[in-house]
Amino acid sequence: MTHEPFDTEAAAYALGALEGEQLARFETHLAEGCARCLAALREAGDMAVVLAADAAPAVPPTAVREALLRRVAAEASPARRQAESARWWTSWATAAAAAVLVAALGGLFVQGRYEPRLAALGRETAALKEELERQARALGQRQADAAIAQMLRDPATRVLTLRGAGPIPTAEARLLWQQEAGGWLVVTNLPPAGAGNAYELWTISGGRPTPAGVFNVDASGRATHRVEPVAQAVDVFAVTVEPEAGVAAPTGPIVLASR
Amino acid sequence: MAEAGADLIRRMAARDGAAFASFYDRYSPLAYGLILRIVGDRTDAADVLQEVFWEAWQAAASYDPARGTPEAWVVIRARARAIDRVRALRRRSRTFVEPVDEVSSDAAADPSGDVAERAVARTTVGSALGALPEAQREVIELAYWQGLTQTEIAERLKQPLGTVKTRMRLGLERLRAIVGGQGA
Ligand SMILES: [Zn+2]
Repeated sequence: MTHEPFDTEAAAYALGALEGEQLARFETHLAEGCARCLAALREAGDMAVVLAADAAPAVPPTAVREALLRRVAAEASPARRQAESARWWTSWATAAAAAVLVAALGGLFVQGRYEPRLAALGRETAALKEELERQARALGQRQADAAIAQMLRDPATRVLTLRGAGPIPTAEARLLWQQEAGGWLVVTNLPPAGAGNAYELWTISGGRPTPAGVFNVDASGRATHRVEPVAQAVDVFAVTVEPEAGVAAPTGPIVLASR
Repeated sequence: MAEAGADLIRRMAARDGAAFASFYDRYSPLAYGLILRIVGDRTDAADVLQEVFWEAWQAAASYDPARGTPEAWVVIRARARAIDRVRALRRRSRTFVEPVDEVSSDAAADPSGDVAERAVARTTVGSALGALPEAQREVIELAYWQGLTQTEIAERLKQPLGTVKTRMRLGLERLRAIVGGQGA
């Protein structure tokens, strides 16, 4: 029985190095269900992974994740979409916030009464601004959302500071907040949450914490996180380390807290 | 780990968005590093990364564990799309900027094949590829990182096609032995 050339072609196939008739012949052979070639293909795939190790893994721009989650959310099954809506709101809004915050920090929307506040924000987060500008550029700024821009001009908007607590004292965050409209959490100096973990934001009212979304930081320790409006007045905003899927009640250490 | 990845893909096939988010978080650094190395530019790499994971979401139902691990599924797709991008950019630069095929002109300008040598020089010391004889490593790198077909590699290296096929086969067999040894 002659099984050549298939024995050696599986690896070339996985590398995409087969062409023309050779390629067609191999795919036909695979489609016929040859167990030997399937095994060879699995090995070739493992080799492709080993070869990939020559390139160091890199943290992708957060804008890619947000854009993908937005597209995926539009297609996810309705039942799940409803059940998991809390996880998905980040997808539509971050891009808009990025563009808007860039504009705001750049002074386009600064009104007199907010000038000192925003100027301070701008000074303290120059690096963050650069990141947001980069994201906004990457998205072509087409996602700009006038409603959120107005939030920054709105006298009802509060700018809260969350300070590093417990294990990460250098972490810091600003929250642009309106109880009826929700807001935006902008985090700096927070290290990665670790494999399998993420950060979860909580709104604490009357001593009871309510989940306000899960987020991750980028390689430089930054994150921009949309916060949904809540029914009750919030006493404290806090961030804890939790499993990446998020939990209903906090279990991990608090790393950021307002007040 | 591999089983958990396969489980995520199964849930993605059932249009589970949360599974996709976990899948992305787990595999995107690997894919992005790979894509970045091939295309070289962060903006292009980010585009390709999005394309790759969008495809993964769309193609989740056709994932067949018999054909490979989730990691391999991602890596092969990422590599293929990155190379598509490089080729498209090359075509564009040929059409609008450079009338000459820069690949063959590179090779023609320097008979010693500096392009191939540069690819080889980037190999990280201590990687699996480092264990191969240089001639075998060279053809595998040109195929893997630059997406050249065996015919193109033969042209680039000015070697007979049969020689290139043999080197690739021997190199891949040796790599398979290394991988098998790691997997045990
Ligand atoms: Zn076979």
